[in-house]
Amino acid sequence: MMGSSPVAAVIRKDLTAIRRSKAVIIPMIAVPFLLLVVLPIGIGLAARSQKHADVSGFLSRLPDNVVAPIVRLPAGEQLVVLVSGYLLAPLFLIVPLMVAAVLAADAFAGEKERRTIETLLHLPIPDRQLFYAKVLGAFLPAVAVSWLGFLLFAVVTNTVAWPVTHRIFVPTRLWAVVIVWVAPAVAALGMGVMVRVSARAKTAQEANQLGGAVILPLLFLAVGQSTGLLLVTLPIAVGIGAAVWAIAVLLIVRGANRFTRDRLLSG
Amino acid sequence: MGSVITSEDLSRSFDGRLALDGLAFDVEEGEIVALLGPNGAGKTTTVRLLNGVLRPDRGHATVLGLDPSVDGTALRRRTGVLTETAGLDDRLTARENLVLVAGIRGMKTAEARRRAGDLLERLGMAPDADRLVQGFSTGQRKRVALALALLHDPEVLFLDEPTSGLDPAASRDVVELIADLARERRRTVIVCTHFLGDAGRLCHRMAVLDQGRLRAFGTTEELAAALWRGTVVDIDLGRQAGEREVAAMAACAGVLDSQSTPGGAQLRVLDREAVPPLVAALVNRGVPVYAAVPRPPTLEDVYFALQQGERADEGVGRT
Repeated sequence: MMGSSPVAAVIRKDLTAIRRSKAVIIPMIAVPFLLLVVLPIGIGLAARSQKHADVSGFLSRLPDNVVAPIVRLPAGEQLVVLVSGYLLAPLFLIVPLMVAAVLAADAFAGEKERRTIETLLHLPIPDRQLFYAKVLGAFLPAVAVSWLGFLLFAVVTNTVAWPVTHRIFVPTRLWAVVIVWVAPAVAALGMGVMVRVSARAKTAQEANQLGGAVILPLLFLAVGQSTGLLLVTLPIAVGIGAAVWAIAVLLIVRGANRFTRDRLLSG
Repeated sequence: MGSVITSEDLSRSFDGRLALDGLAFDVEEGEIVALLGPNGAGKTTTVRLLNGVLRPDRGHATVLGLDPSVDGTALRRRTGVLTETAGLDDRLTARENLVLVAGIRGMKTAEARRRAGDLLERLGMAPDADRLVQGFSTGQRKRVALALALLHDPEVLFLDEPTSGLDPAASRDVVELIADLARERRRTVIVCTHFLGDAGRLCHRMAVLDQGRLRAFGTTEELAAALWRGTVVDIDLGRQAGEREVAAMAACAGVLDSQSTPGGAQLRVLDREAVPPLVAALVNRGVPVYAAVPRPPTLEDVYFALQQGERADEGVGRT
């Protein structure tokens, strides 16, 4: 079984170093800030100003059970709720995927690039624990940034829409499932791919390039499907999250089983 | 006094190329052993195999009674490694590097901070302890990395180039520190180095590796006895010997080989009895001789002879 102490110590060391690394911190903060704060303000303000916009044409193409909560709203609220509450959703799932991918790419390849890998490998932590420490070191910040980002998104969206809605409409129950269940699964999936790529690459840049081929389609899939995720029913959203978790856990466990110091240095 | 490290037929290849081929040696408790050899000789692979970071393709090793390929984690709790590149995280301070790694070693934070402070002080890094490593010179990095290797008071130390990048005073301090660890605390130390002078002064025995094979193992005297025939004579002419003078010396009885040096010439002779006729021959040619000093071969003499594939018995001269 995994003893917590060395794993926690590796994570603590990585997080301390990450906090000092502008090259990692800036994209980790800037991209979520742009996607979850700046963009919702701009789009929310634009949607708010269109009080008499007719969204019935768009809504008529969506399933009845999905549009029901929107069409019940006063006409002036429909556009802002539709845009801020539903259509901006894809942006949210980009964040855990991106942050997890950036950190996971750095996990082993970054250590090789900084020539710190040898020091790490000579420490008394078993191979599997080392792998899980690196995975968690990417996963925890990805989820923390995502949740913090969503908190800001909720504040911004509700504040911008307040003059029209006069109520808090984000998060909805579906949003909550996406945030608490699906977003961490997406982060785990991104990591499951990138940590393994990172173990094979010689530099973080190479890991990003190699991993990009896998991560980008996932990113497009996340963007494409997450709007749909908020348009499906609660059980289906939970099921989709479970499927993503299953793939992510499979990838991570297989990666852990295959990971050895020897393979890392021989590859 | 038992063997702390044993190695039998230890071998490892990468992509079909043998990095280490049949290494067999024993290292005693409290002994300092140098791994000598050019880049690619197999020194780093040896350390990785002995510390359980790599697995051997063939052969077997024990370190502190543990099999590195089976009990790697347990073994690494009791060993300390200084890697060639120092391996510090530039984004952390010197103290943070030590304290955070101590955490991975299972040390309590208070103990880690105390120990880190003591070691940084001893290695002359106390004033820079809370600076980011990013701005450190090679020598400063080396000293912090040495502190990192010593943090948990390991029983066996693997030190890769411990004095490279250090100024002479710091280098002397580090050599003394390593010698003290072996002498007073019975720590066993493996030193990979290119600095033959340090190796000769510090290490009890030398393992000379070349292309993954152990070419020689023993004290300087043992290596010289096995690999070197004769006595070295340094001839002081007050200037570099000319080609004709070198040839004239080489022609003297008992001279095995000769070469010019900036101050005169260096010869290898069968024994010291060859020296008087040699000096006489030079004087008869009108060449002033200020000194002719016979001495036993140094580690450098033996090492370079070995590196050039030379065997005194084969009578092949050095260049």
